[in-house]
Amino acid sequence: MKEELNKVVISAKTEINNANSMHDLMQLKSKYAGKKSILNNFMQKIGSLSKEERPAFGQTLNIAKNQIIQMIADQEEKIKELDYNKTLKSESIDLTMPGRKRAKGSLHPITKIWREIEDIFMSMGFEVAEGPDVEDEFHNFDALNTPQDHPARELSDTFYLDDDVLLRTQTSTVQIRTMEKHSLPIKIISPGSCYRNENDASHSPMFHQVEALLVDEGVSFTDLRDMLNIFVKKMFGDKIEFRIRPHFFPFTEPSAEIDIICVKCYGEGCNLCKGSGWLELGGAGMVHPNVLEKLGIDSEKYTGYAFGLGMDRIAMLKYKIPDMRLLFENDIRFLKQFS
Amino acid sequence: MKISYNWLKRYIDLKLSSEELKDKMTFTGIEVEAVEELGKELRQIKIAQVVKFEQHPNAEKLSICQVDDGTEIKQVICGSPNCKNNIKVAFAGIGTQLKDFKIKKAKLRGEVSFGMLCSEDELGISDDHDGIMILPKDAPIGTDLASYLGIEDTCYDVEITPNRPDLLGIIGVARDLSALLKLPLTLPESNLNESNEPIENYLSLENKVSKLCTRYTARMIKNVEIKESPDWLKKQLISVGLRPINNVVDVTNYVMMEFGHPLHAFDYSLINGKKIIVRNAKENEKFPALDEVTYKLKKDDIVIADEERAIALAGVIGGENSHITSKTTDIVIEAANFLYSSIRKTAGRMKISTDSSYRFERDITDEVAELTSMRACKLILDIAGGELLKGKLDSFPSKKDLRKVSIRPSRVKKILSIDIPSKQIIDYLTALGIIFIKEAKDNLEFEIPYYRKDLTREIDLIEEVIRLNGYNNVPTFLKSQNVMNIPVFYARRKVEDILINYGFSEVINWNFGDPNDLDKFNINKDDRRRNFAELKNPLGESFSIMRSMLLPSLLKNALYNINHGQKNIRIFELKKVFTRKDEKLATEKLHLSGLLCGELDPVYWKDKPKQIEFYDVKGIMEDILAELKVENCEYQISDEPFYQPGMGATVVIDGKIIASLGKIDPKIAAKYEVDIPIFVFDIDLDAIFAMDLFHDPVFENIPKFPLVLRDISFVISKEYKYADIIETIQKVGRNSISKIVLFDEFAGKNIKEGFHSLTFSLVFNSDTKTLTDEYINNILKKVIKKLKNSYNAEMR
Repeated sequence: MKEELNKVVISAKTEINNANSMHDLMQLKSKYAGKKSILNNFMQKIGSLSKEERPAFGQTLNIAKNQIIQMIADQEEKIKELDYNKTLKSESIDLTMPGRKRAKGSLHPITKIWREIEDIFMSMGFEVAEGPDVEDEFHNFDALNTPQDHPARELSDTFYLDDDVLLRTQTSTVQIRTMEKHSLPIKIISPGSCYRNENDASHSPMFHQVEALLVDEGVSFTDLRDMLNIFVKKMFGDKIEFRIRPHFFPFTEPSAEIDIICVKCYGEGCNLCKGSGWLELGGAGMVHPNVLEKLGIDSEKYTGYAFGLGMDRIAMLKYKIPDMRLLFENDIRFLKQFS
Repeated sequence: MKISYNWLKRYIDLKLSSEELKDKMTFTGIEVEAVEELGKELRQIKIAQVVKFEQHPNAEKLSICQVDDGTEIKQVICGSPNCKNNIKVAFAGIGTQLKDFKIKKAKLRGEVSFGMLCSEDELGISDDHDGIMILPKDAPIGTDLASYLGIEDTCYDVEITPNRPDLLGIIGVARDLSALLKLPLTLPESNLNESNEPIENYLSLENKVSKLCTRYTARMIKNVEIKESPDWLKKQLISVGLRPINNVVDVTNYVMMEFGHPLHAFDYSLINGKKIIVRNAKENEKFPALDEVTYKLKKDDIVIADEERAIALAGVIGGENSHITSKTTDIVIEAANFLYSSIRKTAGRMKISTDSSYRFERDITDEVAELTSMRACKLILDIAGGELLKGKLDSFPSKKDLRKVSIRPSRVKKILSIDIPSKQIIDYLTALGIIFIKEAKDNLEFEIPYYRKDLTREIDLIEEVIRLNGYNNVPTFLKSQNVMNIPVFYARRKVEDILINYGFSEVINWNFGDPNDLDKFNINKDDRRRNFAELKNPLGESFSIMRSMLLPSLLKNALYNINHGQKNIRIFELKKVFTRKDEKLATEKLHLSGLLCGELDPVYWKDKPKQIEFYDVKGIMEDILAELKVENCEYQISDEPFYQPGMGATVVIDGKIIASLGKIDPKIAAKYEVDIPIFVFDIDLDAIFAMDLFHDPVFENIPKFPLVLRDISFVISKEYKYADIIETIQKVGRNSISKIVLFDEFAGKNIKEGFHSLTFSLVFNSDTKTLTDEYINNILKKVIKKLKNSYNAEMR
């Protein structure tokens, strides 16, 4: 019986070494080492041996079984390695060929600036307020302390729907609406579309503006300068300084216009800043007591600042867009530059 | 650390409910992690008398007792050998909930038992389980055991922050509470009667590690009587989870709980050479500890030794070779302090955490050692008798002066924003035991008591001031503004971002519109969009209204770009549209419109170019609506006049149209000189935002059981809509089909005109079990049958 067993081991060795797929190998595994395998047959025959022979043969059988299991395991490793090498060969690529891409879109440059402004102000605790584009005279002029006979109210400057209904000329209207509706303190920005009846190379009849408003106890001119400084630095970079010049707006007192160092020449003087080294960015000031009082706010207790910036202009300055008309032509070749 | 209400009452006259005390502790900075009402179980146990005692007829070891609990006589079967007639017992009636079990009516060998007579062990009073608890003769029948034994207390498990080792003792907590509640603090007495014999005649001390052992004191008492502690002491220890051992050990534990400073008692007769040596352990020195483990020590460990061997592992655990036993007569009381980092290292390495190591690891105070030593000796003399030898052995290598810290009321105002007058500051701090020295201009000088090592500079004192003033008594000034709708704000951005990822470029057109566009788009005369918001002074006729729809502008943008050589165009605009009829101002609604034409994706060398079709637009629409949390909407044939007939859909939710999509009628495109297929969509964003659909995601259990995929394929008439077919399948597989995916549609070859073949992949999944093949096949059969009956579908 021992000889028989030896023969089985030898034939198993040959067959296992010749197996070159996992499938073949698994079949050999059940043939030699599985439940109904040849080796198990030997196991059942042990009973026919004499008591003295049994232990020795049992041991031999065990060794044979372990040998075969080991051979199968070794061959399994070999086959896996072969398969792996086959994979490496068959899956070669030219990695210089272009990759598969999806079409990429883009936000409009004004929207990019719009979002950036919202994020800067929101990180400083401002909320974003909105209001209607079609406004009444009260919110656009009266409440903002604009005299009845002010030239801005004229047809040549403002689009009217009715005698007292118009397209807002600035988003300061939203400040009034917010102060009417919400209790103080108020800390908002109001970005949106505004309209003025002019259309030339440097003016669009529709444009985008953002106004910031903070009304609280103890708000000072310093707070205004602080916020302008932070905004200018975050929007244009640490190199860009700002200055404010006395000016007139009916709804602020003191009023100022905001300049920043020219983003192209950094103050050297160039065609963008017309040699002055400075670019005008918008208007600012302390909210006029008349404006607060018209809304029933105690102007002794509360003070506030406001400033307004043109988002189209910021987009042009920041992205070096030379002509305002490009913003509204919607040429895809232009738009895709801002992806 | 555990603190009991009654224990606290020994030092301050608390009149709070246990719940109020919990709040007070929490807001003074001692976080209460758990509250345990002690004696809750014992309150259910009644004192009763055995009025009749008989042998159980069927069991030798059981007896049948008739028990009087003050209300009635009950039969109880008892198995205890010490049970007999007339004794007073602890009776647990039916329904009593003890720690591990609930008493139920039971039948024991044929006799009914209506309760149980309890042992002390079963009641958690002691470890005694030799027999039932027998109460004194005068114990009043019917009284509950908790009130009889006086075990009624509340135990608080509190978290002590690492900066406050002084709170590791109940007196420390009482001191903070006394300051907070403005109640006087009564400290325990510790005046000592010493004998004339000086301790030096019996014992000497050598501290060889003055950097590691910063204080070591020893006092000695002769002729004590080691016995059980009196009831009050045992009860007090049990209330905070400590096990009574004997009077001397109990006193050391008691005083540790009072002052937060551990003590140790040695049996004097076991100190070889009559000398205590504080030294580093020898490398691999063996130390047999009280927990019956022999530890191998390292050079860095500190041991208390006699001339021959280590008798305690300093600050961590006492020695088996020197502890107090019933035979002890003369004792040495150690009150010491060790460098906290060294104790932490030793205890950590050996994985021992004792009440002692817990405290020594937290940097307790050298000076308190003396207090605890005196207090412990006083109590031992009271309880265990004996004579205290004169004087003490004391090693105090680096005694420091008390620290002085100043506080500026102006600084308090600056940090806290509230005005707290100087007098108030002084009151707060002195209530904590901090000593006021003098006042100068805007400057109050204090001396910090030794037990408050955490108070090192002004800001630490400011913290104490605000703690006692109450954190929540500082006002807030800022209000939360509620101007913007945050979910809507970000939803707008997300929708834009989705489109950008689909390859769309955003356009911005002037909001002025041309009324002629509505004619070109075949908009009906009575359509709402013809209620123009009209300008009185426009730039010209083609800019004379405010746009009431965005699509004409997009079509013009497409034309512009086609004329400039672009073929594949994807643009969108997110802007307001305007109408105005009777309203004073205009109705302004935010719309999102998009336009696509040309090929689907950039040309790729491996793929075939594919023209945009309806389903591409629908996919985009579905993505956007999903982002906006619009569910359960229906796609219906659109009656918008500008879509190619049959190629336009409106999206309807609850009968309200929120969007439309489809192919622009080529006739209309032609009016704009566009001759390629144009697909568009238009979404009324404000209508969707008004539905208030935004909500935070809520976690759902991840399926525990594996999912199973099965495909079915059938030929069906094209007249049946996909949506109806899906609904039918869903209904049949309601509890087990979690997902249905269409993965093939085919018409033509071998399939009848007007029919097509659909292949669905069904995902089977259950929350409660692994689905068997048999179960799934059964459902599939039902699905197939239903499809046949409803749609005449033919399986393939």
